[in-house]
Amino acid sequence: MIQISSVEKRQQKKLVILWSITFLILFPLLVTLGLLMRLNQGEWMRMSPGTFYALMTLHGLGMAGSLFSIALAAISYLIATRYARLNIGVGYFSYVSVVLGVLGLAIASLYAKFGAGWYLLYPLPFTGANWPAWSTGLTIISIIVLGIGLLINCLHVLYALAKEYGGITRIAGWQYFKKDPPEKELPSVVMISTISLVPAVLAFLAASVMLIMYLLKYFEPSLAFDPLLLKNLTFFFGHTLVNVTMYIGVGWLYTLLPEFTHRDWKITKVTAIAWNATFFFILFAYFHHLYMDFVQPLPLQYAGQLASYFSAIPATAVTMFGVIVQLYHSKIKWTIVPLMFLLGTAGWAIGGFAAVVDSTISINKVLHNTLWVPAHFHTYMLMGILLFILAFFYYLVGAKEDPGKDQKPKLGFWLFVIGSYSFLLMFYLGGLNSVPRRYSDYGGIPLKNVHETGAHLAQAASVSICLLLLGLMLMYVTLFTKLLRSSRPAAQNETVL
Amino acid sequence: MSQLIVLLTVQGYAAIISLAGAILVIAVVLFLLRTSTTQEDKLAVKKKVYKIRGRYFFALVTCIIILLLVTLQLLPYPKFQSEPGEVVTVVGMQWMWKMAPGTSIETPAAFTGNNEITLPANKAIRFIVTSGDVNHDFAIYDNNGVLVAQTQAMPQYHNELQYVFPQKGDYEILCLEYCGLAHAIMLGKIHVQ
Ligand code: HEM
Ligand SMILES: [Cu+2]
Repeated sequence: MIQISSVEKRQQKKLVILWSITFLILFPLLVTLGLLMRLNQGEWMRMSPGTFYALMTLHGLGMAGSLFSIALAAISYLIATRYARLNIGVGYFSYVSVVLGVLGLAIASLYAKFGAGWYLLYPLPFTGANWPAWSTGLTIISIIVLGIGLLINCLHVLYALAKEYGGITRIAGWQYFKKDPPEKELPSVVMISTISLVPAVLAFLAASVMLIMYLLKYFEPSLAFDPLLLKNLTFFFGHTLVNVTMYIGVGWLYTLLPEFTHRDWKITKVTAIAWNATFFFILFAYFHHLYMDFVQPLPLQYAGQLASYFSAIPATAVTMFGVIVQLYHSKIKWTIVPLMFLLGTAGWAIGGFAAVVDSTISINKVLHNTLWVPAHFHTYMLMGILLFILAFFYYLVGAKEDPGKDQKPKLGFWLFVIGSYSFLLMFYLGGLNSVPRRYSDYGGIPLKNVHETGAHLAQAASVSICLLLLGLMLMYVTLFTKLLRSSRPAAQNETVL
Repeated sequence: MSQLIVLLTVQGYAAIISLAGAILVIAVVLFLLRTSTTQEDKLAVKKKVYKIRGRYFFALVTCIIILLLVTLQLLPYPKFQSEPGEVVTVVGMQWMWKMAPGTSIETPAAFTGNNEITLPANKAIRFIVTSGDVNHDFAIYDNNGVLVAQTQAMPQYHNELQYVFPQKGDYEILCLEYCGLAHAIMLGKIHVQ
């Protein structure tokens, strides 16, 4: 096993705490944008459609980008302090690119009202836009800056792991396919990181092709591209990145939960096969975003539903049953970290289930682009990966060694969970009542019940968001001070992982 | 009443299945919280859980295969539709719908059509849908406010959506792909007689 000096560990810890604090500041701001959107849809507030769509774009890009970034930072920290040496310079480079990228996005949308949605679906950024052309350019360049930082970080982690464990097929766990288990054990987080980061790299490559086309179009407006091809690239990128964010979080679930249950969670032949199958499901599931493009080749439509359905097998039969093996009759102390892992897994399952329902072509035809879509992905983002991330933060500040007697975090946690599910429920009910997504408000819908249901649900959602923000702030009180304290090198009694 | 209507639609099925899924997940969470108070050796636990997992695996795979076989019969694509009784060309533009009977050889921009059209009930109507600028989505709502059918309106492509209007009355067209400022008020109407 690799020896990593305590100096290096301390450097890595400083970096991850910088990431954590930045994320914790950004996150409630982005939630507030969500609150403003719901207030407008609930007709408790009035903003122009231009403002609404600018906020929606910033919220979507900001959330997806920052959650992926913090997940990558967390897994890099675990790897750098335990399994393979990572270059600290690459880490800071990635941090600076993400911060610059997010700043650029914020300027483009808040100042110039760039509002083409997170997905910048071609040719909307260029056609009939109500925002100045430079803000389109700034957004494209910001995404490129952000993407380069993250891509290099992903490649660096993969390279370091491959070097340490003997090649890409080994870190993907192929040696476990044989009948006998290999002599040298592979930590599960290494395999899961590999299975997640390779698709992330492919997603970034697709994004670069797309963004280069966008840049060309930006400088030479007479150019025209195939909108179906660009839609495929866009969703391959967006879907894969969001999907992978969840799987990276599962990586530290496999590593950290066992420390609380005192039961190991090792790779077996079954887990290796399951995760390698997941790799393909991650890559092919995105086709379900194009079901309503009837001209998309039929085999790809089938592939979308098949990959989406089959991805449920490894996720539930391997990971979720793995969580059951960890917890059943384990006499675990339910401190905040394992609690977050358990509920995070549940949120992943609930959101994932709603996603599989929507990935059925014959159901998608009436749920596509209704509020059902944000309903399911907000479920596994907010009640899945975000809880894993918070669990990681609490772990980082030493919640394992010293769970603390303070009841505020737990109270905050439950408020957060209740507020979130209530907020999510309003999205689901909206979808079931055919309320469209991405409507600045529902006042123009000529169907009275769709309009009224949409507005009432948005009001209820606004109240729920306030509740979840309150819960979040209660958790923040202790989390922030602890994070700041553990970043100071002077702290003697601190445990460096 | 409106609750009842929801239960009879595709949306209703989605609601019931998803609710069942969520309840199952919550039940497992509660079960784990309750049973974690006692202790048992990990190997014994593993043996028990793996036995259930084996059964779960076969049940899940069977379910998935059956569901795939059933749901993949019900696709909205033209290949799975009968010959249409009538054809309508639809063009989405920022921010209006243009509809006219028959196929069209005009470019989307030159195409003339109206945002209202009258069509017969109980006859297969094929909508040939495209766009003159950005992506839109041609979505048909019945007069209870239920989304009943949709297809994307993509520039340079023609998506063919077939639908039989089961009832006389007015159906509303909404745009379901974000297309800019006035996306939420990009409306059309179909009078079914
Ligand atoms: C409590 C926290 C959150 C609130 C209140 C919130 C609220 C919203 C609202 C109101 C919308 C617009 C829905 C519509 O009418 O189409 C939205 C869209 C979106 N949200 Fe969130 N959200 C939250 C958390 C998250 C998280 C954690 C993510 C992580 C990925 C996220 C990613 C997105 C994305 C990608 C969109 C779509 C943007 C687009 O359509 O271009 N949100 N959110
Ligand atoms: Cu639209």
